[in-house]
Amino acid sequence: MTSTSAIPGARFVDPKVLARIGNLELVARSVVDGFINGIHRSPFFGASVDFAEHRGYVPGDDIRRVDWRLYARTDRYYIKEYEADSNSNFSVLLDVSKSMGYGSQGMSKLDYARMLAGCLTYLVHKQRDRVGFVAFDHDIVEHVPASAKHMEVVLHVLDRLVPAGPGSLRAPLHKMAEHFGRRGLLVLVSDLYEEPDAVLEAIGPLRFRGNDLAVFHVLDQAELDFTFTDPSAFEDLESGDQIPIVPDALAEQYRDLVRAHVAGLAERFSANRIDYTLVNTSTPLDHALFSYLSTRERLGRVR
Amino acid sequence: MSLLTPLFLVALGALAIPIFLHLIQKERRNVVLFPSLMFLKRIPYQSVQRRRIRHWLLLMLRLGALVLIVLAFARPFLRRTDAAAAGGSGAREVVVLLDRSYSMGFGDRWTRALGAARQALEGLGSSDRGSVVLFASSAEVALRSTADSGRLQAALAGIEPSAAATRYGPALKLAGSIVGESALPRREVILISDFQRVGWQGAEGVRLPDGVVLTPVSVADGQSANLAVTPVALQRGFFQDQERVTITSGAINHGDEAVQQAEVSLEVAGRTIQTKRLDVDARGSTSVTFDPLTVSEPNLRATVRLGNDALACDNAFHLVLSPQEPVRLVIAERPGAPRESSLYLSRALAVGESPRFEATLRQADAVSAGDLEASAVVVLNDVPVPPGLADRLQRFVEAGGGLLVVAANRTTWPASVDILPGLPDAPTDRTTGRPARLGALEYGHPVFEIFRAPRSGDFSAAQVYGYRALKPVAGSRVLARYDDGAPALLERRVGNGRVLLWTSSLDLFWNDLALKPVFLPFVHRMVRHLGAYREPRPWRTVGDVVEPHASATPSPTPVQRVVLTPGGQRLPLDEEGADVLELTEQGFYEVRTTGRESEPPVIVASNVDLAESDLTGMDPKEIVAAAMGRAGAAAGADMAPPTDESQESAQRMWWYLLFAAALLLGAETLVANRSAV
Repeated sequence: MTSTSAIPGARFVDPKVLARIGNLELVARSVVDGFINGIHRSPFFGASVDFAEHRGYVPGDDIRRVDWRLYARTDRYYIKEYEADSNSNFSVLLDVSKSMGYGSQGMSKLDYARMLAGCLTYLVHKQRDRVGFVAFDHDIVEHVPASAKHMEVVLHVLDRLVPAGPGSLRAPLHKMAEHFGRRGLLVLVSDLYEEPDAVLEAIGPLRFRGNDLAVFHVLDQAELDFTFTDPSAFEDLESGDQIPIVPDALAEQYRDLVRAHVAGLAERFSANRIDYTLVNTSTPLDHALFSYLSTRERLGRVR
Repeated sequence: MSLLTPLFLVALGALAIPIFLHLIQKERRNVVLFPSLMFLKRIPYQSVQRRRIRHWLLLMLRLGALVLIVLAFARPFLRRTDAAAAGGSGAREVVVLLDRSYSMGFGDRWTRALGAARQALEGLGSSDRGSVVLFASSAEVALRSTADSGRLQAALAGIEPSAAATRYGPALKLAGSIVGESALPRREVILISDFQRVGWQGAEGVRLPDGVVLTPVSVADGQSANLAVTPVALQRGFFQDQERVTITSGAINHGDEAVQQAEVSLEVAGRTIQTKRLDVDARGSTSVTFDPLTVSEPNLRATVRLGNDALACDNAFHLVLSPQEPVRLVIAERPGAPRESSLYLSRALAVGESPRFEATLRQADAVSAGDLEASAVVVLNDVPVPPGLADRLQRFVEAGGGLLVVAANRTTWPASVDILPGLPDAPTDRTTGRPARLGALEYGHPVFEIFRAPRSGDFSAAQVYGYRALKPVAGSRVLARYDDGAPALLERRVGNGRVLLWTSSLDLFWNDLALKPVFLPFVHRMVRHLGAYREPRPWRTVGDVVEPHASATPSPTPVQRVVLTPGGQRLPLDEEGADVLELTEQGFYEVRTTGRESEPPVIVASNVDLAESDLTGMDPKEIVAAAMGRAGAAAGADMAPPTDESQESAQRMWWYLLFAAALLLGAETLVANRSAV
């Protein structure tokens, strides 16, 4: 296990270098370690040891939980009760459709998303929550039920994922909503190539069941900037459709459309109290995670 | 250079395909994989830019191959002039077949046909020989194989269309025999006709000798509109003891336009007595019924006439009306016979209407000479015949009369008069055990012919308890037998008459046949057969052969007859020779007996074959193909101007064009591989 200190340089580690190592568990830990060391407080940490209330002692209660100080003041036996430990479920919902296999600079969106999922899973596993994993394209491809012992299973499944098949959100997410019985934290990682309203409609059942949803919108730099120059036939990775394109003539319009799409997603997710993070695969993963977790912690305090 | 199917040149528009492929080639080569075209598809297409063609050689090769393929499908050929195409040399044997059926009288067809025939004969060289054959339903040689052009032209003078229908088979066979006998190197048959479909009933076994060329010359003008009268139907009835006839006729329209208010008239004895108007749909027919006529005299001439059109022959239909003649007969009973002995017989004969039977009941000894002279048939119903009566009956039968002998248990016949099919022997009693039944019947005989079909009469249902056994004499014929093989009905021809012998009774004394449904038609058929009754034919068709003596009054002495044709020609008929008359004209024939001018003549109505009025044409090539076959067609290629199809087929330029296109495509493959396009 590589132990890196919380040095600022960790954020500049190129994800393409990490992909070359190939051991996903190791990569995840090193990144999380470096990240944790820079953060003093985790938004998940210590939330389950808070005092809740006192109640009267009844025979059979553990006398170790008797509040002796209060007995000294009142001459009555009271039992201290705390918030229950929130041993919550955490699952990553990872889009493995063919469009996720795209990568203009060596690392594909799926590789980046796998590292993101591994890091988050490792992070949550460390705080003793139960971890699970679901991979989907137009249907559910892999499903690891949430369990405290499934960390390695999740990493193993992440390692063997291959992008294949056309993608769709609605059908697999609706099917997942049937399986998640307990409320938990769900992280959706996808390139979200659907209309914002359709995306919101697809994750609706998950949200209505009380899950805490976070969405990572993973896009490649080329998808955001459209830096192509030669007139070419562009082929859709999922459908195989081709259209001839002269990039110079339409790059600006394309970027406008993408910006409008991202803005639309952000607006709708915000309105529905869903965390939305746009992730560019050209930025280091630790930076993206830091950005997300810090924002979440800040917003958590506000709440 | 000509093209057989020039419409294929439209396919040259396909030349745009390789040009288009060349222009879009670059876009197809660089393919960029992109996660999703979701946003790109929303942007209006702007990738079309003018590009330059870089692979000119490839483009030219592809365009060239396409042009060659299209040209090959257009089937080009080099048209040869008729003069250059017509080959062969030597003298010709030419047979001109001229259709003179009555449909050639339509419009100016006959004039044009004569012109075509004269033109064909004028084209003969000095060493050529020609024949003229006129045909309709049959063919006749007007002039046979001569080089004299004057006689050939003269053979066409004065001929007119006949009243007969068209048949190509006999004419082609006759032409085939003429050219088959010729030794000249080039033989040709020129068929000049309007080529009606009704005249060709398939190949008809027609096949011209090998090497003979059949050249059709059609004078049809494409018009087939024609209105024709239909054959009439007669319905007879009686009103106040007078026979009345209702005539139903009509019109058939062979044209594509409806005819309104066509006038149909009925002429009797040359005077129009009724006129009706009717509407006829296109390709349809309409019937009309005239008011009943009273027919009191024989041989009344009647004509149903339709208005005038371009073909007049089929606008008239002639018929002869005569009162229906009954079959007269004498039923002779033995003296003292019970009343019911002839009851069933006379009742059965009273029922008949077509023909009617006039039966006279007499005792055997009361049959007079006048009775025999006035009767066509004599029935001896279980009569012991004395020799005198037997002698008279013999003369009666020999003169053409009919005799039915019902040989029940009392019948006797003098052995000296040998006219019976067999002499009745002792009665056979079948009252004990199973009764006899009628078994084997000669269904081919006119008496039993109507019972031939299944469920048309069951003779075996009758039970016979007694009959007279007999041994058939030579010359007699057993028409029916009982189940034990004994004869039941026998026939013998004597002189001009016939004798039938029934070996049982025709009442209920010996059998119950009189109670069976077959009894009435059985008796009718026997009397009709003995009386030599024939349905009178009110009309005949041109081409029929009639026997005038059969219609005339029988005469013991030979007579001379003269026929007056509708055209006014007098034809003597030789009584000793073939005294038949072939109908060749439309109208009424009169047959008179020489020396009996006071007697009314026998009238025969003759009509044209109305099938000929359908002027629907056919393709002459059908006849040519059937008559010449392959060998003939090949030989004929030298004589007749070759068709475009035959020239193209012989040159086969399309094959070379396709071969060149294949070479170009092969070169294109090589060039494309080298330039990696």
